[in-house]
Amino acid sequence: MDRSENAGVPLERTLRALGVLMGVLLPVYAWTVVQAPIDSVQGVMQKILYVHPPLAYGAYLGFVATAIGGALFLWRGEERHDQLAVAGAEVGTIFCTLMLVTGPIWARGAWGPGNWWVWDARLTLTLLLWFVYLAYLLLRSFTEGDERAARFASVYGILGVVLIPLNYWIIDLVGSAMHPSNIEFQGRDRSLGEGMGLPFAVGNLTLFFAFAYLLVLRWQVGLRRSRLEAQADA
Amino acid sequence: MRVALALLWKDLVTEWRSRDRLVAMVVFSILVVVVFQFAWPALEPDEMRRLASGVLWVTYVFAAVIGLGRSFAMELENDAMTALALAPGTRGWIFLGKAAATWLLIGLVQALTAVVFALFFRQDLLPGAAGLALVAGLADVGICSVGTLLSAMSVRSRFRDVLLPVLLIPTLIPVLGAATRASAATLAGDSPPWDALQPLIVTSAIYTILGFLLFDFVLDE
Repeated sequence: MDRSENAGVPLERTLRALGVLMGVLLPVYAWTVVQAPIDSVQGVMQKILYVHPPLAYGAYLGFVATAIGGALFLWRGEERHDQLAVAGAEVGTIFCTLMLVTGPIWARGAWGPGNWWVWDARLTLTLLLWFVYLAYLLLRSFTEGDERAARFASVYGILGVVLIPLNYWIIDLVGSAMHPSNIEFQGRDRSLGEGMGLPFAVGNLTLFFAFAYLLVLRWQVGLRRSRLEAQADA
Repeated sequence: MRVALALLWKDLVTEWRSRDRLVAMVVFSILVVVVFQFAWPALEPDEMRRLASGVLWVTYVFAAVIGLGRSFAMELENDAMTALALAPGTRGWIFLGKAAATWLLIGLVQALTAVVFALFFRQDLLPGAAGLALVAGLADVGICSVGTLLSAMSVRSRFRDVLLPVLLIPTLIPVLGAATRASAATLAGDSPPWDALQPLIVTSAIYTILGFLLFDFVLDE
């Protein structure tokens, strides 16, 4: 596509800036992870630390974008806000799914065979969030009429973000009964081993910007599509 | 406010004349209770006692999904949805009227289910009945408010019978978690614990307020 065609396309400059940032960060990220020391207890498995927790930004911020986009759409009725909500939900689902895939792999590696899953507070919360994401996307695809689908989805997106603290509360309440000794992920919030701090920080930064890049890209695709549809109608 | 009362009255009269929603929910609930007997055939009454709260709430949630699904499906006939959307006044009152009607119906079904459960599994539920009623009454406010909101949306979609539980059950986790815990305590002879009633009250209140405010966007011609 030639440049002039991109002129006036919304978010193009933001997207390009984020793209350059990703181009710089990704090799640095990969390099620091490779260079990070092998954990003495968990072995190479521990390197999931540099991927798994940073994915949480995307999973949760995706939902925040969905709720904000939805609320703005209900308030102003502009399609671009709904496109932001869709982008948040779709990219958030990817991050949430990756979290749910990498989590059990790490859990089994760290806690031994059979421990693919524990009903730990964070795991449970992420799983419930994932269900809300899927329900949101199903609602969108099953509802008849674009405007109505956007309206209904906005309502559900707001409901979903309200649900996060409520779920947290209830998991905390009943979870403590299920697991008296709640297993904490080793070395996440507390002291990281020597040489692990830098790759963890770079991982957080990179995956945060990866989320931002994908979000803006998906948003732009939505905006372009509605622009083309408007041109076709005209 | 008058709109809410009028709709509540209309829904109850419709239900009284046809009784289809009530009958469907009661039969379904009894079936679920029977299924549990076949899931655990050799259970002693005191073992069942410890599972009672969970069994009851699983049954209650499934029955609620059926009842809520019908709540707006019946408005599709003769295009009554359009009439509702055109009704003057704040649409939140329509929401409250519909939710209140379902609240009464679900409460009735739950009481009947508890009786059947007590008979089938030789349980004496009477000592904890008042506590259970309080917990269920509170939890049902949450279930019916979020359920009414989602039912009005799912009824407008393809595969609405599948979509409603997929939308509804994730939002019911906080209600379900707190209600099961509180009911377990009442069935064990204690009073409902405050730490479980608290999230129940807060969740029900939030869902009612959200439903009242957001219902405006859900109803259309």
